[in-house]
Amino acid sequence: MSLAAEAFVSQMAAAEPWPENATLYQPLKGEEDQILLSDSASSLAVQTYLRMCGLPVQVVCRPNAEYMSPSGKIPFIHVGNQVVSELGPIVQFSKAKGHSLSDGLDDVQRAEMKAYMELVNNMLLTAELFIQWCDEATVSQITRHRYGTPYSWPLNLILAYQKQWEVRRKMNAVGWGGKTVDQVYEDVSQCCQALSQRLGTQPYFFKIPTELDALVFGHLFTILTTQLTNTELLERVRSYSNLLSFCRRIEQTYFESKDS
Amino acid sequence: MIRPPSDPQEPHVALVEEWNASEQHHKVVVQHVNIQGLGRTKEDLLGYEISDVFNAKNLIDVMKKAHIARQRLLRLGIFKEVEVLIDTSEGADALPNGLDVTFEVNEIKRLTGSYNTMVGNNEGSMVLGLKLPNMIGRAEKLTFQFSYGTKETSYGLSFFKPQPGYFERNLTLNMYKVTGQFPWSSLKETDRGVSAEFNFPVGPTSHMLKWEGVWRELGCLARSASFAVREESGHSLKSALSHTMSIDSRNSAIFPSSGALLRINQELAGFTGGDASFFKEDFELQLNRRLFWDSVLSASLWGGMLFPIEGKPSCIADRFYLGGPTSVRGFGMYSIGPQSEGDYLGGEAYWAGGLHLYTPLPFRPGRGGFGDLFRTHFFLNAGNLCNLNYGEGPRAHLQKLAECIRWSYGAGIVLRLGNIARLELNYCIPMGVQSGDRICDGVQFGAGIRFL
Repeated sequence: MSLAAEAFVSQMAAAEPWPENATLYQPLKGEEDQILLSDSASSLAVQTYLRMCGLPVQVVCRPNAEYMSPSGKIPFIHVGNQVVSELGPIVQFSKAKGHSLSDGLDDVQRAEMKAYMELVNNMLLTAELFIQWCDEATVSQITRHRYGTPYSWPLNLILAYQKQWEVRRKMNAVGWGGKTVDQVYEDVSQCCQALSQRLGTQPYFFKIPTELDALVFGHLFTILTTQLTNTELLERVRSYSNLLSFCRRIEQTYFESKDS
Repeated sequence: MIRPPSDPQEPHVALVEEWNASEQHHKVVVQHVNIQGLGRTKEDLLGYEISDVFNAKNLIDVMKKAHIARQRLLRLGIFKEVEVLIDTSEGADALPNGLDVTFEVNEIKRLTGSYNTMVGNNEGSMVLGLKLPNMIGRAEKLTFQFSYGTKETSYGLSFFKPQPGYFERNLTLNMYKVTGQFPWSSLKETDRGVSAEFNFPVGPTSHMLKWEGVWRELGCLARSASFAVREESGHSLKSALSHTMSIDSRNSAIFPSSGALLRINQELAGFTGGDASFFKEDFELQLNRRLFWDSVLSASLWGGMLFPIEGKPSCIADRFYLGGPTSVRGFGMYSIGPQSEGDYLGGEAYWAGGLHLYTPLPFRPGRGGFGDLFRTHFFLNAGNLCNLNYGEGPRAHLQKLAECIRWSYGAGIVLRLGNIARLELNYCIPMGVQSGDRICDGVQFGAGIRFL
């Protein structure tokens, strides 16, 4: 979007307060499991962020959520008559409405936060995509079947293969095409080590919870609770105890307390 | 040697009057019927078309039957020219009243190609067409069209095979990818599909049975598309069986002055696989009658209903649309009925009717030539489009279709293009406009093949 259009949208967004009927769309979860690891992680990150801001949102599952999204990525929110997808733009959108978590940070800290968010997106998210679309065992046993669940034959196969080729092309473009699964697990470990070192013994990455906490929680919690073909990824993340307790803490604060 | 006139308009009678009256009823026997000039066409295919010539009893009959056989050979679409030669028999077994009929044919080339460039709607494209008529020798035809554009590409491959001896019974197999953009719904659609179509006549009616398997991809045309249209984005698979029956007794497709057309179409989707599941029915009726002074009164009625099966909601790509220069004039293109934020979503039931009075241009300029391509017409159009709640009974449906009728009246000029299409320039006054409809009152231009 051009700068003028962005400014216009921000102004439109700022005009109205956050409505009660905001909805978040993601692929099917539950009985007809369609959602994949990477989408589930991104969706959980956005949900966590909105809970941290105290903004109510209803989660709706649709089989065509990926195609409904204006950018093609999950999740997206429908607020008023605007549609915004992905965590970055959603953070901007809520900031325009006056809700922000990172206002208390100074410029250096904000730059650091952005750097770590980039790290998570470039490492963790790419690793998740690699494992679910480029690792033969996972693709054939889990991913292809799940991705094509809502469609009838032969469309379920066509769409799954089409998506696989698209992700493989993207992996080649970012230079991950030649990696093996073990190298990817190593990259995940390194990323987790960097996050663990930054977190240390603090409750959150900065003094107050920010979008970085939401993003890290979304990815790590999903990895810890998703069953793949093997437990390698799970073990790597679990080996960092402060990250484990971080996830548990956020889950207890924002998810369990709401249910009671 | 007698050569029947190759121009069918010329009457035989003038030629025959030159003769001795008694010779007309002189009995003859057709001994041989030959076809010369065949290349790849198989002879057994043509046997059916020309076999009737053997049954001719006298000379007039021979000429008539030879003429009919020539028409039948031409309609196969495999010959450029057909000439008929009738001569007395020669040879050892020649009878004194024997005749030999010879058809001299000129086959169409094996491969024809065409190349066009098209520009329109902010898009340029290159269109390549290839046609292989009479591919294996029994009037099969293979056509391939490929369009490569700046925004979209589309292609189609089609194979046509008639039944030898019974050309009206034929089978067509298609494979295609087409894309369409529908700005009135802010929707774009890409269809990739295969279809098999079987045509056959039954008495005066012609029928078509078709199976179609289509992979449909819907998307928003602009970021500002309404959420209702955004919800329809995505992929679906439609596997449908359809049947069409039509009877056409009109004397012309574009400006008929007499006759009627009735076309009824049913489509059942979902029982042969796929995601889409519905039963769709639509019909088209047109009646024409000549009135005083070369003017023609034409009445037409269209209608249709879509019943979703198994409780699944209907898809925007299957619903009916109404309005526009080819439908209820005076309204924007497909801009009547249920809509959301300016995007028209179509409806599950509709009806539309039109009453036209066609007259030649006032003072008849260019009579007998160019002027005959034009007509003036005065029209009255009406219609309605809505969604039905199929839990209620038929009475509630009829009531719903009868309330809030949109209608319009006006006058204009119509131009015939070839024998398929027409252009219209009308002055329309829309009435019965409901909130949400988009109107086009005043001058409206339309071009198309099928008009209400």
